[in-house]
Parts: sequence; C-alpha cells; structure tokens
Amino acid sequence: MKLGRIFTRGLVFDNPVFVQLLGMCPALAVTNSAENGMAMGLATTAVLLGSNLVISIIKGFIPSKIRIPAFIVVIATFVTMVGMIMKAYFPALDAALGLFIPLIVVNCLILARAESFASKSTPFNSIVDGIGMGLGFTVALTILGIVREFFGAGSIFGFAFMGEFFQPATIMTMPPGAFLALGLLLAIYNKITSKELNEL
Amino acid sequence: MVERLTVSSSPHIWSENKTSKIMLDVVIALLPATIGAIYFFRLNAAVLITLAILTAVITEWGIQRIRNQSVLITDFSAVVTGLLLALNIPASAPWWIPVVGSAFAIGIVKQLFGGIGQNFMNPALAARIFLTISYTDKMTDWRSPIDLVTSATPLSYVKDATSVPANAPALIDTFIGNISGSMGETSAILLILGGLYLVYRGVISVTVPAVYIGTVAILTLIFGEFDLYYMMYHVFTGGLMIGAIYMATDYASSPVTKKGRIYFALGCGIITTLIRQFGAYNEGVGFAILLMNVAAPLIEKYTSPRVFGEVKKQNA
Amino acid sequence: MREVIKLGLILLVITSVAAFVLGVTNEMTSSIIEERLHRENVEAIKSILPIAEEFNPIEGEGITDKELIVEVYEGIKDDEVVGYTVKTNPNGYSGTVEVLVGFSVDGEIVGVKIGQHTETPGLGSKIADSAYIGQFFNKAVDLGFSTTKDVPATDNDIQAITGATVSSDAVVDGINAAGSLFEEVLRNR
Repeated sequence: MKLGRIFTRGLVFDNPVFVQLLGMCPALAVTNSAENGMAMGLATTAVLLGSNLVISIIKGFIPSKIRIPAFIVVIATFVTMVGMIMKAYFPALDAALGLFIPLIVVNCLILARAESFASKSTPFNSIVDGIGMGLGFTVALTILGIVREFFGAGSIFGFAFMGEFFQPATIMTMPPGAFLALGLLLAIYNKITSKELNEL
Repeated sequence: MVERLTVSSSPHIWSENKTSKIMLDVVIALLPATIGAIYFFRLNAAVLITLAILTAVITEWGIQRIRNQSVLITDFSAVVTGLLLALNIPASAPWWIPVVGSAFAIGIVKQLFGGIGQNFMNPALAARIFLTISYTDKMTDWRSPIDLVTSATPLSYVKDATSVPANAPALIDTFIGNISGSMGETSAILLILGGLYLVYRGVISVTVPAVYIGTVAILTLIFGEFDLYYMMYHVFTGGLMIGAIYMATDYASSPVTKKGRIYFALGCGIITTLIRQFGAYNEGVGFAILLMNVAAPLIEKYTSPRVFGEVKKQNA
Repeated sequence: MREVIKLGLILLVITSVAAFVLGVTNEMTSSIIEERLHRENVEAIKSILPIAEEFNPIEGEGITDKELIVEVYEGIKDDEVVGYTVKTNPNGYSGTVEVLVGFSVDGEIVGVKIGQHTETPGLGSKIADSAYIGQFFNKAVDLGFSTTKDVPATDNDIQAITGATVSSDAVVDGINAAGSLFEEVLRNR
C-alpha cells in the first residue's frame, strides 16, 4: 500500500470517528471545548504513535497467543507516560482531561490499529498509519470541540468573538450536546463523502 | 413516481380523522389557554406565541423543501408544536427564546427523525427542556400575571415541604390561572376545558390524563400525610395539566396499546412526583414525559396484544 | 508446560521493560508534579487571605478531626499570625463542595472561594459567583449564617440562589463550620 494512501485513509476515508465510530467515549466526553478536544486527540496520537512503532518492532517476538496482553501492556505504558508528562508540564490540560487520560488504554482505536495494522506492517508504515489515524482522530475531536464550544459557550479555543447578541446554548457543552453535535456532524460528513465516492 | 405514492403505516382505512383535522382540534382546544395567556401576561405573550408558531411553520417548510419532500405545513402539526412550546415558556422571555426553541423542536426533534409520526419525543417538550437547560435563568424568570413583577411559582412554595405554607398563593388563583408560571400552564380550568373538548371530539382518550393526574394526586396525598389541600396544590399548579392533557397524549411518542398507555401515564405520574419531591428542579412534568417517551417502545413491546391465531409458547 | 513458561517469560520481559520505562518517567516528573500542586494550593490560600505572606498548616486534635473541616492554615506576616484559612467540604446537591474561607485573627471574613464542586451548571454552580459569595465579606465568621429565600433582613441572613437552595445551604454549612472552629479553638490561641 502506498504511504500517501495509508496516511489519507486515517485522516479522511477511514476516519476513526466519522467513519469507524471508534473511541466514542473520549469523542463524546471531553469535546466540550475545542482546546480539550484537540488535546485529547494529540494525547491519543502520541500514544498511538508509540504503541504502533513498538508493536511493529517487537511483532516477531510476541507469540500470537499472548499478543493481546502484550499490546495492552505496551499501550498502558505509553498512556501512563503521557499522563505523567501532562500532569507535570500541562497542569491546565490535566485538570480538564485528567480523568480521561487513563481511559486511552481502552480506546478501541489504539488496540484496533495494533491488531489490524502494526502487528502486520513495517515500523515505518506503522508510524505513518499512527500519524494518519491519530491526526484523523485529532481533527474529528477538534471539529466536534469547535462546534460544541461555539454553540455552547460562544467562543472558539477560548476566544470569544461573538457580540453580546449571541446567546450560547449551554446544553451543547453538556453531555446531550455531545450526542447532538456528533449526530449532526456525521450526517454532514456522510453527505459530503457520499458525493465524492459516487464520483470515483 | 415515488412522490405520488404516499406510503404510510397501518391502518389504511380511510376516515374523516385526517391529521389536519385532529391538529385543528388541538389548536381549538388550546385556544382558551392561549387567550388566557394573552389576558394574564399581555402584549409580550402575544408576541412570543406568534413568533413560536411562525418559526415552527417556517422551519417545517424549509426542511421539507431542502429534503425535497412534499411540504405538509397545512396539516397544522407545526402550528400545534409552536403553540404548545410558546405556552411552556415564561412571559418574560426575550423574543429569540421561542424562535430558537421552535427551530429546535421542528428541525432536530421532529424532522431529523423523519417528520410527523416519527419523532420519538414530544417536540415541544424536548424544546422546553433544551431551553431550560441552556438558558436556565431566562426560562425560570417567572412573572406574576397582569403587573408582571418577578415572583416565585406556586410549586416553589411547596418544594421541600409537606404542607402548603401560609404565604403561598390561594388555591382558587392557581385554578383560574392568576399565578406566576409559564404562559399557558397557569390556568388549570382553561386547560381542562380544552381537554374536555378533545375527549368529546375523540382526539384523545381520557385514560392518559386521568391516570397521570390521578397518580400524582395519590402520591402527593401520601407525601403530604393526607393533607387534601397540599394534594390539590400539586395537581393544579405547574405544568401538570398542560403536560397530562396535551403532551403525554402525543400520538407519535406515547404507546399505542391501551394497557401500554396506562403504564405510560403511571410512569409519568411517579417520575413527576419524585422530581417535585426530591429533584433539583421544582417541576418534573417535562422530564417525566420525555423519559417515558423514551420508554414507550419498550412498553409497547411488552403490552402489544398477541397476534390473532398465535399460540402461546409451550414450555418444551 | 514448557510453552506456558516460555509465554510467561516473554510477558515478564515486556512488563519489566515497561516498568523500567515508567520508573524513569516517574523519576523525572514526580518532583515537578509535587512542587506544582504545593504552589497551586498556596496560591488558592493566598487569594482568600491576601494580607498574609507565609502559611503554616495547623493540625491536631479538635481541629482537623472536626466535622467538615479539611485543612486549616494560619497566615503569618512579620512573624505574627494575621489570620486563618479553613478549607471545608460540606455536602451540596450532588457531592461535596469545596468551600475555602479566609478570615482575620478577630474573625472578620476577608475571602471566600468555592473550589471543586459538581453542582448543577447554571443553577447550583452560581454559588461560585461573586454576587453570592460577596454576601459573606466583612462579616464575622462565627455569626451563624442561615439561608433565606427572601431579601436578607439581618446580617446573618444569606439570600439563597433561586432554584438552588441546597447548594446555597452547603456554602453556609461550610462557613459555619469554619465559624465554630474559630470560636472554639482558633480565637483562644
């Protein structure tokens, strides 16, 4: 498979959130602002990159019988590292996302890439796949965060540019708003991509 | 070709009871309460009601045009949604509250799920909850009728209480509607009048409102240690009348089976009382009906009558 | 049998490497994390008792084992105690509410801060607004505050937030706990 194809697949055609509907827990739980969504996406990308690389390197060493526990140990190690680094250097993000960082371990996206791609591919391809999928996840979470923050708080990345007349609907930054925003974004995404697929 | 064939769910028997006719009856039934709202809350009430109905109809028209469907705004269902929503907001609300609410009710709750008959929640009620959660301060800015000064709703007097405090408004005022609250929910008598009309016309059966209100009455009687006055207070105030008569009876979002409707109304009554007694909000009618809306398919599943000729499963 | 041992050994190698990597990361970050937490705590305390320059924790019998009391600090300026900060955790509408109150040696409230809480957004969350908290300022901490739904008549009446009486009660509970601590222990130090 071509590198470009591996990359764009994660970013668009096989987007983890909008197409595969993987990692719904963080996608719905932490996207109440654009910043949180992006931070969660980047944290997941960092873990995905590390786990994809390590798993593709040691794939010959791991017998298939114990591959799942081995994968989980690798993933959990990276997640714990990300959690510690975040706590030490990005306290504001840690306060917002702290609870959800350990949950990256059970994000199906990461195990899915380990199982279906990294354990069968070269380290280099695995890195490209990790970046593509990770960025796809980050972009999706950021868009979700932007939409929810804009309609729910009237700002984007904390920057309020709407005048007094704009009345944000608080519900969008609350759990119901996550489902509303995700549903509407999925509809729009399908509308756009289905047109493109028809043209192919 | 497809457009010309209207495929609808059963029964396919043709009758006089067309959607537009039913909806028109609901509008007529709501007229006394609407006029009462305009009398009690004056000009702003009229403006808010007009805006809510206009937005509902325009949203319905717009979405049906975008989706290339036949435009069905003449069936009055959007008018009913807009009117019901308007009666559910306080008279002090700014002009955009009914606009945002109606657009949400029709656009998201009704049309996104497939339009009339497909919505799994009552659109007007879902919009009320959406507005209450989003704009809590504006949706709880209650005013007293006529002079429109800020004042607490009768329900807030009996919150955390097992009897009616002496400074609460008189029961007769809650019956007539001379109390603060959402525009259309204050006058129990006008809402009951409309309800009687709907029962007479066969649009709704008396089951759901009777069981719903009855459940609330019995439970509050127990909570109030058999204080009849306290019970009546709970029955005639808040959104119970408008909710039980006009919203819990919504065709699309409540069960179709007779038994199912009883369970549905029973559930509404229990949840309403529990929220009023123990919840954060003073009023629980909205949440109760929405929760039971979500449970309606399950209720239907367990109460649907056996198909004729079907044999009861034997224990093999 | 031999396979089980082989699989176990492989897992052991993987987990050992993982443990080693985590140990190194922890070594690098733990001191930074600890220092940051301490600094944040001091900043929070300082914001409710700005006159003090140094803070010493007060612990011991009759103080931190009292109901609702979490942490007590004495604020010091020029080697003299100028006030106290008390962190309490009264029960709100959903879960505990962190209420921090700072007051001078003679018991006058100079700062109130609502820390972590999970009250209903838009309703109970208004306890953190200065409009509500401001009602406590410049009053004696041991006044014995009580919540009222009407316009406050006396100094110890605190007007509840509409629709959030339980959350308002929580804040009053927390400050009253600090008040009785002051009256029983701190005043006579």
